[in-house]
Amino acid sequence: MSLLDDPKAAFADLTRPEWWVLGVSVAFLLFLFVAMLTGGLSPTYFLFLVGLAGMYALLSFGLNAQWGFTGLINFSVAAFFGIGAYGTALMTASGSPIAGGFNPLVGLAVALVVAFVLALLIGIPTLRLRADYLAIASLGLAEVVRLIVLNERWLTNGSAGLRGIPGFFVGWPVLSTFPEAMPGLRLEVVPGSPVFLETPFWQASLNGLLVVAFAGGAYLVLRRAHRSPWGRVLRTIRSDEDLARALGKNTYSFKMQSFVLGSLIMALAGVFYAHLNLYVGPGDLDPITTFYAWVAVILGGSGSNRGALFGGVVIVTIREGTRFLNDVALPIDPAPLRLLLIGVVIVAVMRYRPQGVLPPQRELIWPSAVDGGGTPETPDSGVRERKGGGGDE
Amino acid sequence: MTVLGYLANGLVFSSIIVLGSIGLSLVYSIADFANFAHGDTMTIGAYSALVTFGAVGGLGGAVLGLPYGFFLALIVGIAVAAVVAVATEKLIYEPLDVDSIGLLITSIGIAFIYRAVIQIRFGSDFTRFDVRPLRPIEALVPYGVRITLHDVAIFGSAVALVVGLHVLLQYTDLGRKMRAMADNPDLARVSGIRTKRVKLWTWVIGAGLAGAGGVFLGLFNQLAPRMGFNLLLVIFAAVILGGIGSVYGAMAGGFLIGMINQLTPFFSNVVEALPIRPNWLATLIENLVTIEYANAIAFVIMVVVLLVRPNGIAGEGAT
Repeated sequence: MSLLDDPKAAFADLTRPEWWVLGVSVAFLLFLFVAMLTGGLSPTYFLFLVGLAGMYALLSFGLNAQWGFTGLINFSVAAFFGIGAYGTALMTASGSPIAGGFNPLVGLAVALVVAFVLALLIGIPTLRLRADYLAIASLGLAEVVRLIVLNERWLTNGSAGLRGIPGFFVGWPVLSTFPEAMPGLRLEVVPGSPVFLETPFWQASLNGLLVVAFAGGAYLVLRRAHRSPWGRVLRTIRSDEDLARALGKNTYSFKMQSFVLGSLIMALAGVFYAHLNLYVGPGDLDPITTFYAWVAVILGGSGSNRGALFGGVVIVTIREGTRFLNDVALPIDPAPLRLLLIGVVIVAVMRYRPQGVLPPQRELIWPSAVDGGGTPETPDSGVRERKGGGGDE
Repeated sequence: MTVLGYLANGLVFSSIIVLGSIGLSLVYSIADFANFAHGDTMTIGAYSALVTFGAVGGLGGAVLGLPYGFFLALIVGIAVAAVVAVATEKLIYEPLDVDSIGLLITSIGIAFIYRAVIQIRFGSDFTRFDVRPLRPIEALVPYGVRITLHDVAIFGSAVALVVGLHVLLQYTDLGRKMRAMADNPDLARVSGIRTKRVKLWTWVIGAGLAGAGGVFLGLFNQLAPRMGFNLLLVIFAAVILGGIGSVYGAMAGGFLIGMINQLTPFFSNVVEALPIRPNWLATLIENLVTIEYANAIAFVIMVVVLLVRPNGIAGEGAT
């Protein structure tokens, strides 16, 4: 938090799990960096991985705003992700059956509006339900959305999916031609294995910047929201909804706000995915995406935005790592291996660390409350005297 | 096909759904969480039966078009599903220190592990039991009913299992203990019921029935690692329609959802015949009531039931 003001103290403050996460992340980054320099990992692919990690982080942020903040068990993450992706794809793709050819910014706006409407449609009936009913109902409604996307061919092209989606920066003044305009570079850090930086690399770095912007924006908004009075109400609802209601809060309305906020962030992840992958199909609405996001959130620590970021990176490592393992070492089909790892991670987290690796307590403290010098300020007079009361015992 | 034909298909499919939903409902009421691994328990039963049937072969004679070996495989499928469920309860769920939501999330992980293991061993392709496919029963074809002897076997076995469960719940000691526990676990415990043991028996019965359902599902359609997970939500719809925690409700809900699922093509004929106004509404409904949306209809019914009548059709108090 205060890394810039006082780096030494900030490091001394870290808890053990934070040290572990920091150490593993730095080691992992170094490993990737070395792999990149020696040519084992192409920089373009690395940036693709960064994009994916950012996308999963966005999904986890969205889910965190619902489950971590408010305790809503939303199993329809894949629906919002898919709607975001389809929303922008239908507006921008050349193969779109309804519109197509619009600027990706229009696609972004349309995707967010559609996700907003869908969030209301799913939220209005289900948010009144008990927690475990909400889980089942939202999973069911997500399946309904998937079936509609799969079967309404006139609208979505059905199982063929949508091709010909442009990159996000098409039609922007400088950025649309930036990848072609940049010169191809040839770096030779380790003799004999040169690294080429050409058009695809610049294209990928633009995508990387985009996802960093999306995820960074979402992170800042969520961090601010989580600590705000609004976020405090959400946390109260999570731990005891009756209490929140007794305090005069309209919990249904607060739940709806947090549901919509989270859904919009998930749709943002979908928009980014559509312009990264340049193809969307009904398979992208498969419930597995929902559970990827869930693993990321519970692994990172429910309610913790840093944890969600960490979880997103772990998911990409599992996803792409199994593919890599299949190519290099073990000839096991990566799909079930991935499923197995995800399952084992879920069970292990619930068994050994149900609060997640980076639980959110420390995140929620305003820095000013800690950096002030240990002891909190004590008011000159007691609260009771100031209020003029005191005889209520 | 005629109405009778759809009804007959519905009866067979309902048998499978009922077998699945009883177990899910039992576990929901006694272990107190929504078990998302239940569908994959069905898959385990189906694949165990596949392996056993491949190993023992036909064993001579046959009943209802199914060789004796298949019935042995069915029993092994039930047993393996029950053993796996009990082992999971002992190794994973019991040592956990989380609430029912935590258990729900854990069960998703368990579901993935089950499915991944099956997929690693058998691949993700469809397979079938090595049973000769039968022609529909000749005597029924004039009525538009096209069911095979296998379907009759599925229906008959399911009825036998359900009746057995009814006897167990109503007339045995274990059944009374289970009903007591579903009603109020703390009260059951202070009355001297060994709740842990009852819970284990619940898993045995629930998972065993799910295993049987999985074997029949494999016989009815085909086997695939995703077969159970794909059916899970339909089973949840049945359990919720019947009222969570009520075994007889789950039977009724399973019957209704299975029927609705198989009757969808009939309903779409009905909708086309009905004079619905305005026209756009007619087109909309005709588009939505089609075979592609058979499952979606079940899910929508589920959400509506949750909203309007969360206790299900059986209501409160029934066990």
